Amino acid sequence: MLKGHLDAIVLAALEAGPAHGYAIIETIKQRSAGTFDLPEGTVYPALHRLEQGGLLSSAWTTPANGRRRRIYSLTKAGVAALNERRKAWGRFSQAVDTALAGGRA
Amino acid sequence: MTRAIDDYVATLRRELDFDRALADRLASEVEDHLREAAEADPAWPSPEAERCAVERFGLGREIAAEFAADAIDRQARRTWITLAVTVAVTFVAMRLRVIWLDDGAGPDLAPLIDRYAFVAALTVGVVAWFAFRRSLAAFAICLGGLVASIGAGIVRADLFANGAPLHVLLSAAGEIALVGVLAFHVIGLGRRLRRTAELRRVGR
Repeated sequence: MLKGHLDAIVLAALEAGPAHGYAIIETIKQRSAGTFDLPEGTVYPALHRLEQGGLLSSAWTTPANGRRRRIYSLTKAGVAALNERRKAWGRFSQAVDTALAGGRA
Repeated sequence: MTRAIDDYVATLRRELDFDRALADRLASEVEDHLREAAEADPAWPSPEAERCAVERFGLGREIAAEFAADAIDRQARRTWITLAVTVAVTFVAMRLRVIWLDDGAGPDLAPLIDRYAFVAALTVGVVAWFAFRRSLAAFAICLGGLVASIGAGIVRADLFANGAPLHVLLSAAGEIALVGVLAFHVIGLGRRLRRTAELRRVGR
């Protein structure tokens, strides 16, 4: 179920600023308090897909350790997509809450 | 020290052999990720830290299968665009040949093949667009129909035997080039579909 929302979660992880794959996964783990325990590699197809869709941009940098690193940033379209997905998720989760509450409310 | 990270990256690069540029890019990215993860492990520096980083990253085949599935969508889109352009150009060139050249110089069968192979390619293309967007068979039939139509058009107009004007030869060369590009995309799509199926089969 999480996989269907992974793209939105990745977009949200980049909202604070540009980051590389490892940092994105760490952010997701921290925010979910370990609940989203996906294999770390899962984030790369999502990053690539979002970049192909124009929602992210990326560039190589070389930090002090000398290893090449790819840094991802949200594009304007990515910010708009994130806001849209947040709204859609809000509507969906509210509907599920209502359905699960049944006759208790 | 083991070479868990080096081995993993080399394997992943092999799994992504359907797209060399992607394989090179991802190999660098994944190596950076795994080394950073290993260095953050309390057991670093040790073979165990590398092994744990690789384990947390997940199976290379499953990651490659996801990339391959995404690549199919992109390749199918490219193939559709090329197909649409080739059909349009073939149609225009077919009509222009009728205007430019005296019809009926070639064998009797050629006009029929020219027309009906094109119509067949167009029909299959339209049906496939609505029903099977990623069907290799549909693309192959369209490609076959266009090759037959263009070939018959060339035979029909007797282009090479009678020394046709340059603009007629150029339009035929344009059609042939476009069909070549289409064939390249169809073969690429076939390769990606086969690779994805292999990766998913072994990954299970």
